[in-house]
Amino acid sequence: MRNCYLGIDVGSVSTNVVLMDENKEILGKVYTKTQGKPIDAVKRGLKEVQYQITDEIKVKGVGTTGSGRHLAAMMVGADVIKNEITAHGIAALNFVKGVRTIFEIGGQDSKIILLKNGIISDFAMNTVCAAGTGSFLDRQAARLDIPIQEFGNKALLSENPVRIAGRCAVFAESDMIHKQQLGHNQEDIIKGLCDALVRNFLNNLGKGKDLAGPVVFQGGVAANVGIKKSFEEALGFEVLVPPHHEVMGAIGCCLLAQEHASKNNGTDFKGFDIVHSGYQVKGFECLDCSNGCEVIEIMKDGQLTARWGDKCGKWSNNITTDQEKLA
Amino acid sequence: MTIKIGIPRGLWFYDYYPLWKTFYEELGAEIIISNPTNKNLLDKGVKNTVDEACLPVKIFNGHVIDLKDRVDYIFVPKMMSVYKDEYICPKFCGLPEMVEHSIPNLPPLIDTEINFNQSRKHIMKTVYEFGSYVTKNPIKIRKAYSKALQAYEEYKDKISQGRFPIDGELTSKQLMLNNKNKKKIALLGHTYQLYDRMGSMDIMKKLQDYGVEILIPEMINMDVINEKAATLEKKMFWSYGRKALGTAIYLKENSDIDGAIYVSAFGCGIDSIIGDLFERWTRKDGDIPFLLLTIDEHTGEAGVNTRLEAFIDMIDWRKRDEGNLPAHG
Repeated sequence: MRNCYLGIDVGSVSTNVVLMDENKEILGKVYTKTQGKPIDAVKRGLKEVQYQITDEIKVKGVGTTGSGRHLAAMMVGADVIKNEITAHGIAALNFVKGVRTIFEIGGQDSKIILLKNGIISDFAMNTVCAAGTGSFLDRQAARLDIPIQEFGNKALLSENPVRIAGRCAVFAESDMIHKQQLGHNQEDIIKGLCDALVRNFLNNLGKGKDLAGPVVFQGGVAANVGIKKSFEEALGFEVLVPPHHEVMGAIGCCLLAQEHASKNNGTDFKGFDIVHSGYQVKGFECLDCSNGCEVIEIMKDGQLTARWGDKCGKWSNNITTDQEKLA
Repeated sequence: MTIKIGIPRGLWFYDYYPLWKTFYEELGAEIIISNPTNKNLLDKGVKNTVDEACLPVKIFNGHVIDLKDRVDYIFVPKMMSVYKDEYICPKFCGLPEMVEHSIPNLPPLIDTEINFNQSRKHIMKTVYEFGSYVTKNPIKIRKAYSKALQAYEEYKDKISQGRFPIDGELTSKQLMLNNKNKKKIALLGHTYQLYDRMGSMDIMKKLQDYGVEILIPEMINMDVINEKAATLEKKMFWSYGRKALGTAIYLKENSDIDGAIYVSAFGCGIDSIIGDLFERWTRKDGDIPFLLLTIDEHTGEAGVNTRLEAFIDMIDWRKRDEGNLPAHG
């Protein structure tokens, strides 16, 4: 029987599940698309990771992160719920020795994390605008009818990249179309896009920061070799992409869960059986005051398990009494 | 019949309302304050404001709409300048006109101009003009004004002790922790945003729930801030900018804070410059962690929560790391 830790990262585009043992060895990892249905994605991720495991295992701790971390935590019974920045920082620290700078580009957000003496010393995250993140690349790949997996390789073939305005996704797209109608070839346009995104990232997030190496590039977009190359060209030195770059957030959660388990007894993990449970989500607008909060109710197998979204707390706090009433 | 004067709970409200409330109440008027910002009010404000305006102006218009059918006058002074050679912001300067042309069927506005850009010599003339909406008796007005000033000084005094007028209600004094988990964070932002629970996504409460001791510029001696601001290469002619940059220099030199957070209003022209200058000044030769939060009409709080949580984590981590260093060498 091996002791394991489960990490779940529910992002806007992908949901990642990682199972790690006590020696920080990755036993199983799943990268699956969220597709707007985080509950299904978590279930699918758990099911798939279970298939990958052949040994007898015992889950000693669970951590969740990503924008859907609270939802996932409620489903699986998490011990640690952490923001993405901390989770990514911890994962990189454990897998790349002496890392000083982390670039992370995910589905809807991008961040830069600076580390000093093995701790996070500064970070920046994109503001409301999601230009230059994974979902924009996905969209452009779909528009050009190129599978996203090949997008980066196309960029490497470019000999004469065009310049594209990357400040805003909407402008970038019209600029790309403009260049395409002028007759530039696809490789050059794709490379131009990679350069534009990197320029935007470094200007926006890296502004005024001392970007020292080793630099680690992680998140789903790190799979794109075109972007990696553009980063290297802009910085003038090598950028490392760690082996499990696409699931680093989930790995960070495993590490956090391990740390938590070493200090506390027991786990809240509800077991892999939850993949067989049915979850229904119901949303309603509370009309008791003029705030009109959008309240979400989660039912597990017909039983109310969680509520959130209200400002005053009257729905989220009342959950135990309502459960009794229902029973 | 007593005159009913409505004061919108927005913009300069958080800086001055005891002054104005006391003034008009002393003159015998009834003061009605609009409801705290809520979603309904925000929606109405957004609908009735030009698209380019910043979020706080949209919220302000929401408050005007909230008041318009239940008062005789709405108090919307034309705030041009409150200090010599300084201005507030273009939107404040044109606020009464903007309100008048955005919202139909308004009661008359009290839109007296406040302009001390040249000097404060004629301040009483402005005061009489404000008072004339209720009475023509100059003695009564002068008396009311001195009472109002007193209330205003008391209010400022309470804020300087760390009591915050959240939605206009002064909080009790913040708990000052004195153990190793103590975290002190400087919080910068327009008063009308920080103290508006909806407009700031309740950031002050969130920070206090994390056990953070908040430092706002109003808790630092204003003379010191002005002194620091005077060392800037060029005079900062926006009053808010002067305060923010003076604070930045002060924090850099006397840093007992663990971090600084700048809350910026989406669409604020001043913030786009001051936020960046503030970051540069606080970071010059130092490494105070800095977080910029831009808040707009989004109601999703997840983005703000994630950034705050990560920021607090980072500070905790840094402090733990400092604690691990051997005490000698």
